[in-house]
Amino acid sequence: MMGDKPLRVLIVEDEVLLAAELEYLVAASGAAPVGHAMTSVEAVSLADQLRPDLALVDVHLSDGPTGIDAARQMTEHCGAIVLFITANMKRLPEDFAGACGVMSKPYSEHQVRQAIAFLGECATTGRSQRPPPHGLVLSPQFAERWGVVAAA
Amino acid sequence: MSEGEAQYGERLAALEAAVEARTRDLKAALDQRTALLHELDHRVKNNLQLISSLMLMQARHSADPAVKLALDGMIQRLNAVATVHRRLFQTEDIDRFDLSEFVRDLVADLGGAAARPQVRFACRLDPVQVSAAKAASLALLVNELVTNALRHAFPEGRAGQVSITIVQNNAELWIEIADNGVGMGGQDCVAAHGVQGFGLTIVELLGRQLQARITREDARPGLRMRIEAPLESVTG
Repeated sequence: MMGDKPLRVLIVEDEVLLAAELEYLVAASGAAPVGHAMTSVEAVSLADQLRPDLALVDVHLSDGPTGIDAARQMTEHCGAIVLFITANMKRLPEDFAGACGVMSKPYSEHQVRQAIAFLGECATTGRSQRPPPHGLVLSPQFAERWGVVAAA
Repeated sequence: MSEGEAQYGERLAALEAAVEARTRDLKAALDQRTALLHELDHRVKNNLQLISSLMLMQARHSADPAVKLALDGMIQRLNAVATVHRRLFQTEDIDRFDLSEFVRDLVADLGGAAARPQVRFACRLDPVQVSAAKAASLALLVNELVTNALRHAFPEGRAGQVSITIVQNNAELWIEIADNGVGMGGQDCVAAHGVQGFGLTIVELLGRQLQARITREDARPGLRMRIEAPLESVTG
């Protein structure tokens, strides 16, 4: 489980219903949802202001397919770990725009809970103690950074 | 260069230009179609996510355990269909699926979501190519059988194993779900083992659609369900 301080999570998703459900799942996983953005501009500004540990980012936002740029800015300037949650896996650049990984839509409740627990552990300890859970694909950069064992 | 040769050269150049322009138009049209297809794929996945989130919300809002149970069952069925869609467009081949790949997805999710650490899964999943058109039916069928085993074979925290086998045997696809749980107990299997009303109906209907033989037998201990479907009914 996570350390004393819960993981602070920003949700960047233009579908309000999906965002509400993600917020619930984040809280149910022992993390703390700290904000919700629907556009890339809002996302970067909230990330700057709130300094979340983790941002869950859809590629497609209210202002277009801007999630990738937003992710790059949030990782470079705000120190957030970004996880893409998207139906557009193929849109992602090879370097994942600095994000730690991706979860494909449609995801299940279980996958989200597992992913948040796993990322919480990695963010806290800087290492992964186990292979990433089912449904979570890590970027090569983060797999190396966290010393991830390949999934069985 | 003679006048004839010059004319020939000009005509050839004109023809080449025309072919090039036509190819460019066709390629543009194809690119547009491909983009539309990806947009549609994106919409389907998002909409599935939307329905799933709505059902999760309603399940939590409901105070009635029966309503919760029914919604949980439907969320799980929707997940099974979503598992198929998640894989769609991830590979180049969009009209064929490896059944075992998505059953592996399904089992990882079902097993985890059920939160039953004392129940183990043992899978023998051979690669079997099925058509995308049949993938959702197959996913729902496997979902129903595995969910059923998890729900009824191991009451009161009983430990055990659910074995899932997918093999291609001559001209047939065999799917076998076996558990070593409480089994039929000498009673009618439906009553004792509770492939309950609706779940059983789903299994029977999907079996009919896939022209499959469905057998249930006492595995002593536990229960074994086997689906034998002609390959052409799942690849066509």
